[in-house]
Amino acid sequence: MARFTRRKFLKASGAGLAGILASHQAPVFAQQSTVHWIKWNDFVPASDELLRKTMLPEAMKALGIKINLETVNGNDLQPRVTSAIQSGSGPDVFMLFNNHPHIYSASSVDVSDVAEAVAKAQGGYYNVAKANTMDGKKVLSVPWAVIGAMIAYRKSWFEEVGFSEFPETWEQYHDAGKKLKAKGRPLGQTLGHTFGDAPTFSYPYLWSWGGKEVDEKGKVVLDSKETLESMKFMQSFWKDAFDEGGLAWDDTNNNRAFLSGTIAATLNGASIYIESLRKPDQYKTEKGAPMKDDIRHSPLPRGPKGQFGFHLFQSHMVMRYSKNQKAAKEFLGWIHTPANYEKWFVSQKGYSTPPTAQWEKHKMWDEDPVMAPFKIAGRLGLSPGYAGPPNRKSAEVLTKYIITDMYAKGVQGMAPQEAVKWAAGEVSQIYSGS
Amino acid sequence: MMIEGARWRKWLWFYLPLGAFIVALLFPFYWMVVTTVRPDGELYRPWNHPLYSPFWTSHPTFEHVKELLLETLFNTWMLNTMFIALAATLISLACGVIAGYALARLTFRWAGLLGTAIFVTYLVPQTLLFIPLAEIIRDYRIGDTPWALILTYPTFLIPFCTWLMMGYFKTIPKELEECARIDGAARWQAMVYIIFPIAVPGILSAGIFAFTLSWNEFIYALVFLSSPEQKTVPVGVTSELIRGDVFFWGSLMAGALIGSIPVAIVYSFFVEHYVAGVTGSVKG
Amino acid sequence: MEASKPAPFQFVSRGPISRALEREGTLAFWLLAPTLLILTVFIAYPFVLGVWLSLSNSTVGEPGHFIGLANFYKIFADSIFRTAAYNTFVYTAITTVFKLALGLWLALLLNRHFRGKSWVRAFILLPFIIPTVLSTLAWKWMFDPTFSVFNWLFWKLHIINSRINWLGDPDLAMGSIMIVNVWRGVPFYAISLLAGLQTINPDLHEAAAIDGANRFQRFWYVTWPLLLPVTMVVVLFSVIQTFADFQLVYVLTGGGPANATHLFATYAYQIGIGTGLLSEGAAISLAMFPALLLVVVFQLWYIRKVENR
Repeated sequence: MARFTRRKFLKASGAGLAGILASHQAPVFAQQSTVHWIKWNDFVPASDELLRKTMLPEAMKALGIKINLETVNGNDLQPRVTSAIQSGSGPDVFMLFNNHPHIYSASSVDVSDVAEAVAKAQGGYYNVAKANTMDGKKVLSVPWAVIGAMIAYRKSWFEEVGFSEFPETWEQYHDAGKKLKAKGRPLGQTLGHTFGDAPTFSYPYLWSWGGKEVDEKGKVVLDSKETLESMKFMQSFWKDAFDEGGLAWDDTNNNRAFLSGTIAATLNGASIYIESLRKPDQYKTEKGAPMKDDIRHSPLPRGPKGQFGFHLFQSHMVMRYSKNQKAAKEFLGWIHTPANYEKWFVSQKGYSTPPTAQWEKHKMWDEDPVMAPFKIAGRLGLSPGYAGPPNRKSAEVLTKYIITDMYAKGVQGMAPQEAVKWAAGEVSQIYSGS
Repeated sequence: MMIEGARWRKWLWFYLPLGAFIVALLFPFYWMVVTTVRPDGELYRPWNHPLYSPFWTSHPTFEHVKELLLETLFNTWMLNTMFIALAATLISLACGVIAGYALARLTFRWAGLLGTAIFVTYLVPQTLLFIPLAEIIRDYRIGDTPWALILTYPTFLIPFCTWLMMGYFKTIPKELEECARIDGAARWQAMVYIIFPIAVPGILSAGIFAFTLSWNEFIYALVFLSSPEQKTVPVGVTSELIRGDVFFWGSLMAGALIGSIPVAIVYSFFVEHYVAGVTGSVKG
Repeated sequence: MEASKPAPFQFVSRGPISRALEREGTLAFWLLAPTLLILTVFIAYPFVLGVWLSLSNSTVGEPGHFIGLANFYKIFADSIFRTAAYNTFVYTAITTVFKLALGLWLALLLNRHFRGKSWVRAFILLPFIIPTVLSTLAWKWMFDPTFSVFNWLFWKLHIINSRINWLGDPDLAMGSIMIVNVWRGVPFYAISLLAGLQTINPDLHEAAAIDGANRFQRFWYVTWPLLLPVTMVVVLFSVIQTFADFQLVYVLTGGGPANATHLFATYAYQIGIGTGLLSEGAAISLAMFPALLLVVVFQLWYIRKVENR
């Protein structure tokens, strides 16, 4: 008998000890609230520096809240969210991409008060912002910014192959790319599993041919003539014009390739150009001139059914497990006041576009004409799951990279019909699940 | 195996292959070192650039190391990993040594079954358990603390230590304990005062092996820890040194290099023991 | 044993605890208790929980309810899962063969006496000692599409004209992860097999030589059979580890390009933690277990057969 109680005691005290030790980890002092904010590593480092050195100390003075900023690689945000929700503790304010807020809706705090205040004061949210953060019952997250994705290209190289303006249609782009690749200057595009440059290409490409995942009623229509056409074009396009290493690229490879002069054009945020501005002496063309003067931006070319874009959308979610919800909301409200937000926006130099309409008139857009195309990124741009509403299912299709994989499989040699059928099957499975 | 015959044969059959193995096995480390001290301008030259010089650099620099040590949380990660590895090793040794003794030296009804049970746990790798374990870690509220790892690492360290010690104990003659007991020692005293001191080399081997295995663990650290200050070196280096567009290869390699040093040092002091550990586990 | 030698343990008080611990069974219990406790709480219990998770539909933040085998049906219909399963088997099989062959060769080389032997032996274990993610990072840089040192080397040697897409071509990517795995594992095999070799009595070789056996026959009929027990144990450990491998693929390719290099573990991580579909992730992880069990049982049977020969 004694043995049993001893064993139980050991077990209980072991767990108890672990609990006691664990509770000693968390500081019990709560004089000043702290908000742990996690966002991606900004591709414009100057902005993160601005936050750390200037704005967050200001927030501390204004609100009495200490903001603990953590930045991680963009691709790691999602696993972090899952880990945090699973372990029941973690950052209070989480930056999320695109329609991911729908995935974590159960763990989010309703932030309608903050979002509505911002919308009223700043001319209303763009549709894409509303779609990604509101599910009809509550506001899942506060829209933050839209990262415009444009094609950055080498003007001089395109001129050499006969294009004084950027190609307008896919066929023209194919033509230009073929000539450029023949000169050892292929186009660059990632078809890998990376959150930024891959979906922002594959989705609008699909849409521009008329393909879509679902129709307005939510029926899966991916397996269609239009999708097949887009696939066939992509297969020859890839071989003729692209750097075939792109299958393994993440969001940083195309930046490095472009800046080291190995590719002629790539879909990207403005970070390539901004980086070339930052270090004009390091990034030179093969003729010795600063590369920044040879870079221009253009939206994606037009397809048979139109010109589309998918721009990375960012928002901030306040987590339900957070013990500092009130402070978190206060902070979000503070940082979105025009005076504060403007500072951050200007530091981005046009890399990000604010989610509300009033910023289109800001004078910063007039400073550098090379950045002008990014101004309306928020207004254009559709969401994955088009033409259905953005919801948890489209978010799942996005995070599983199904559309990107479809094209990746095709360019690797899979028969076009097979690749499309595969993707349609995967999407159907997701949309039919509960 | 003697290689008889001409000197050239010796070169062909022995020195050349051996040399090839050594180069192949050690080249990546050389690469790590060179990349660490290579300045950024040189680092980002494509491989078909005329000036690409992979094997050395003419302008070695310590800026990457400085960046790593001063501008990242690398030092914190080193301390974390050290602490976790030592604590986990101690726990595992404590458990493994006595468990190994029990299974090797004592006869009792469940000996065979328990031995097999401990072996079976090896069939349940971390990559199978990490998802449910994350829930358990949360329920015990040790998520995002070192304890999440210190208490879970023993799950794969103890079986190993146990087998190692079992093999070791089996080689110690039973007479020693019997002598001690005849001299008046209790059974447990014979174990602690007679057998354990003799088994110190084995304990050392097991400890070194456990220490290096702890440093090498990744998936639990990746899933159970989230705050940057809590991370271990492997997780920190792979997650925090890739900032935005820039891959910071210089600092990455510096981190990889410096992160490997503690393990390499411990290992170098105890090579014999480590090798004995490896071979003992295999033979046992 | 002199009776006059002072009994060193006379100070022991034979209290009830001491007396209880005299019984082998009791002592064994207490010695094994901590181990069993830890293993139960952190392996047995999570395993059961994992099974339950895989039979439910919980996602991150939402504990689900029981749905039977639906997750398993879903993943078996998932072509990426099938690819991952296939990859894992191929990856394990091929790397094991290479590690064994190269490890054995290296062990044979090291079995001779030469100057600097202990240095060499110490250094070659480095790939196995150094944390996997750190050395894999070095390989990732060596394979980088734009900056690869291997491409430079082959280009200089005029073996290739354009770049080898180490990590971007699906087949090459599989090859690349296998290369790194073999690189990492050969030292372990070599050292273990070396220890095995060193227990073989050299007289046996001499006897065989006298009997007219050539080098190869000596190896095949003398060395190899005696080495088999050690070999099988090494292979067993290695197979388990390789089958469940995560770190290497995670760092080198993340499962890409286009899911071409996913293994069970990395796919489970991507679905479970990356996408937040915990129960599907748990199902993928669990799918490893039967295969692993089969492989292990087979090997144990083979070992027994060899030992009883």
